[in-house]
Amino acid sequence: MTTHAGEHNDHAHAPGLQHQFEDMKQQEESVSIGMWMFLVQEIMFFGGLFTAYLVFRSKYPMAFAVGSNHLNAFWGGLNTLVLIVSSLTMALTVYYAQKSNRNMQVILILLTMFFGTVFLGVKAIEYTDKWSHGTVPITGLNKVVREGHGDSHASKPIEFSIVPQAYAAATAAGGEEHAYVNPRGEFQWNDYDLIEKKVAEQKADPNAYILTTDERNGYFSHGELDRDKFRDKVRIFYWIYFVMTGLHALHMVVGLGLMTWLCWMAFRNTYSAEYYMPVEMSGLYWHFVDIVWIFLFPLLYLLGRHFIVGGH
Amino acid sequence: MQTTEAIRPSITDEPRQNYLTNGYTIKSWLLTKDHKRIAIMYLISVSAFFMMGGLYAAAIRLELLTPASDLLESGTYNKVFTQHGILMIFFFLIPSIPAVLGNFLIPIMIGAKDLALPRINLLSLYVYWIGGGLVLFALMQGGVDTGWTFYAPYSTTFSNTYVMLVGLGIFVNGFSSILTGLNFIVTIHTMRAPGMTWFRLPLFVWAHYATSLVMILGTPVIAITVLLLALERAGGIGIFDPAIGGDPILFQHLFWFYSHPAVYIMILPGMGVISELISNFSRKKIFGYEFIAFSSIAIAVFGFLVWGHHMFVSGQSMYAGLVFSFLTMVVAVPSAIKMFNWAATLYKGSISFDTPMLYAIGFLGLFLIGGLTGLFLGAMGLTVHLTDTYFVVAHFHYVMVGGQVIAYLGGIHYWWPKMTGKMYSEFWGKISAMLVFIGFNLTFFPQFILGYIGMPRRYASYPEEMQVLNIFSTAGASVLGVGLVMPLIYLGKSLINGKPAGDNPWMLPGLEWRTQSPPPTENFDKMPVVTWEAYEFGEENGLDLEAARRRDREMASDFQKN
Amino acid sequence: MAEHGTHDMHEQHEHEHMTIPKYLLIFGILFIGTIVTYLVALTDLEWIFPGANTLVALGIAFFKMTCVMLFFMHVYWSPKLVKLSAIASFFWLAIMFAYTMQDYLTRGTGVFGQ
Repeated sequence: MTTHAGEHNDHAHAPGLQHQFEDMKQQEESVSIGMWMFLVQEIMFFGGLFTAYLVFRSKYPMAFAVGSNHLNAFWGGLNTLVLIVSSLTMALTVYYAQKSNRNMQVILILLTMFFGTVFLGVKAIEYTDKWSHGTVPITGLNKVVREGHGDSHASKPIEFSIVPQAYAAATAAGGEEHAYVNPRGEFQWNDYDLIEKKVAEQKADPNAYILTTDERNGYFSHGELDRDKFRDKVRIFYWIYFVMTGLHALHMVVGLGLMTWLCWMAFRNTYSAEYYMPVEMSGLYWHFVDIVWIFLFPLLYLLGRHFIVGGH
Repeated sequence: MQTTEAIRPSITDEPRQNYLTNGYTIKSWLLTKDHKRIAIMYLISVSAFFMMGGLYAAAIRLELLTPASDLLESGTYNKVFTQHGILMIFFFLIPSIPAVLGNFLIPIMIGAKDLALPRINLLSLYVYWIGGGLVLFALMQGGVDTGWTFYAPYSTTFSNTYVMLVGLGIFVNGFSSILTGLNFIVTIHTMRAPGMTWFRLPLFVWAHYATSLVMILGTPVIAITVLLLALERAGGIGIFDPAIGGDPILFQHLFWFYSHPAVYIMILPGMGVISELISNFSRKKIFGYEFIAFSSIAIAVFGFLVWGHHMFVSGQSMYAGLVFSFLTMVVAVPSAIKMFNWAATLYKGSISFDTPMLYAIGFLGLFLIGGLTGLFLGAMGLTVHLTDTYFVVAHFHYVMVGGQVIAYLGGIHYWWPKMTGKMYSEFWGKISAMLVFIGFNLTFFPQFILGYIGMPRRYASYPEEMQVLNIFSTAGASVLGVGLVMPLIYLGKSLINGKPAGDNPWMLPGLEWRTQSPPPTENFDKMPVVTWEAYEFGEENGLDLEAARRRDREMASDFQKN
Repeated sequence: MAEHGTHDMHEQHEHEHMTIPKYLLIFGILFIGTIVTYLVALTDLEWIFPGANTLVALGIAFFKMTCVMLFFMHVYWSPKLVKLSAIASFFWLAIMFAYTMQDYLTRGTGVFGQ
């Protein structure tokens, strides 16, 4: 009876070959299919969020357009470019791994990590901006500002008042003087220009398809535009924005962790033309994260720009 | 054509090392990469969850003995049936056959040393334990009362129970499923032995391939749904809350997009086992091999198109209901194809009524009833009357218990000698199989009637005139419970002093029967080269079982003489 | 030796296909695609038909994704199974989108379109 302990001596033992495989080709094929299966499941994972986006966008396009206009497309666009550059450096890492070039691998992985970190940094700037403007959809997670004090933030603020409508009404009606604006850190919204314009257009021509059926019910109370109800729909947009970009950022963090490990292994000269699959597989993950962002950017940031510019 | 020698590879009785004797420390088990050991650990875990779910079922049936909500008050009853559903579906039915029998047998059936990704396999076990641990912890704190379906806005806004913790447990457990499915697909593509072409694969492998497709494509959607549910609950957002413009139906769409294909995860492996049992215990090549193989894939694909049939009366549009209803009728066709093929396999076969075959025949009848009643529920007119009644409960228990659980038990008994090297008591096996069949029907058939006359599901109390049928149901549940506990006893006993089983105790041509019982760690002494078709019952061990047994005895006595 | 699918063009050969200039070319295309997406979004295309802006944005995104998948992820030179997986996953996304939206888009249509 043969044992398997000696069988490995029969093969030219390639570096990194695991015992259940006959040869490197089988291992590479298996690992590649396995990684793609994982990516398929990741696509379906994000797919659920895209479905939610699709449903709500088709129900409340105006709220989405207005919310989207208040996202800073410059930062979003910059992030897109940053990720594309990082994809390039990642692809080149795989290239140099196949060429057994250790130094270039390490440099390129470090560059990839650098750009990934820049991405996360920009996201941090964006999220902080939302916090200070009161557009985080969870009550309590927005900035509470002492009235009369300026609030400082890095990016140029988009001009709209941070005093919520209801609060202003309450204080104006002779309530006691409050020392804080947005004391409960609630979601705030004050830009109703576009929606009021559209409502006026719709009322002028009831048969035109300017607002969807859901909007005609959802934004109105007693036949008039209800600002609170409109604000709720914008809040849904921001929720979807935060969940989608947040989940994406989480995947980015995992990717950075993966890159750290890969960098260490590459530094120890583990990868060569005979054994480079881990680099290729990490590359697949990184490119996947890039592709998700390629879709997130236009869908979240560029929705309603044409309303501001074209004026239609 | 294979020789008898091929079926009885060695008639020596020197003690041989196998996967069970290869290392006795806890570490060698908990850090193993051997798919067989992982399967055994899954077996123990899955059985434990099954017993827990069964205890909750016992509580349900005891409460429903009387019309009033006297044993359990409504809130507690809600928790009990929710726990029953969650434990049974996520921690028993979905992993059962794939993680236990699939993990154990797929590499052996394709002639490989192990799965393609053994460490991923071990990770899936750890993840299963973590998910299970989280849910058990939540149950001990008081559990959830939303129903296993977690419908919003009750679960997001109003429920006062541990929704987020249980949701987290289910989220984590989903990855166990995904990793198993991923592993199977890779293995079946890349690890087949030379000569093992796709159409020589046992149908058990095809069924698991189809199941794995569903696992990979569907499970991430429940993951994101549960995540959204938890975030909504934590953050008070309202995308599922109609008061703020959210849509509770969106939750249902996302939830059922996975949970309907999940029911195919909960039946396809069972069907794979049944294909094996029917063919092997009729000693006849399965009828319509390609049809059964492709129908598994068809069920996996079409199963993704019908989820709206769980939402006919929830508020989705009538047009959508129409489309989903039609597709529900279509998805029944591949299952029907299998039933016909199995029946045709039995025809003129040499049927031996061993315990696994009893389970297989039971499956045929019970799955038939379950599947047909599913069609009743898929018809738009009938469904309005029957939705959320006990008719639905009876339907899904017929397919899930009468289908998958029965197939699982049949498979466990069939491959028990291979996995453990011991034979169980056939007498007690048959008794237990019959108790399960009788008890099951007594429990769930009255529920069809109860549902039809209007007893709603998930209610702790009901009108007095329905009590008689409920008493039958509970009586049946007791019989079923005895039948399900008995295997624990006689299978456990077989481990201690059961008769040692040979390598091929049933005398069958499958590749798994051509290696030791229990198999060595690397599955085969010599990697096989496959030159025969699947289910090839040659002359030596064909239809004439008695002749095969006679030859076997002759060979054994010849060997002893020499 | 285990049996494999038919693919002679093993992953290892593709470094002969993708050279550094080609990687830079794809990068350039992606870069320009992003700029174009941004600029087009600022232009009102709704006069063509409602939703034209979204369609163009998505179209460019699809094109960028295809470039990344085919050339950075080497799908162009991958075995058929990998290509099939990539396509199948989008098909499944399409199922999820289409069958969910067929509910939302037909709400309020009453009995058979009345």
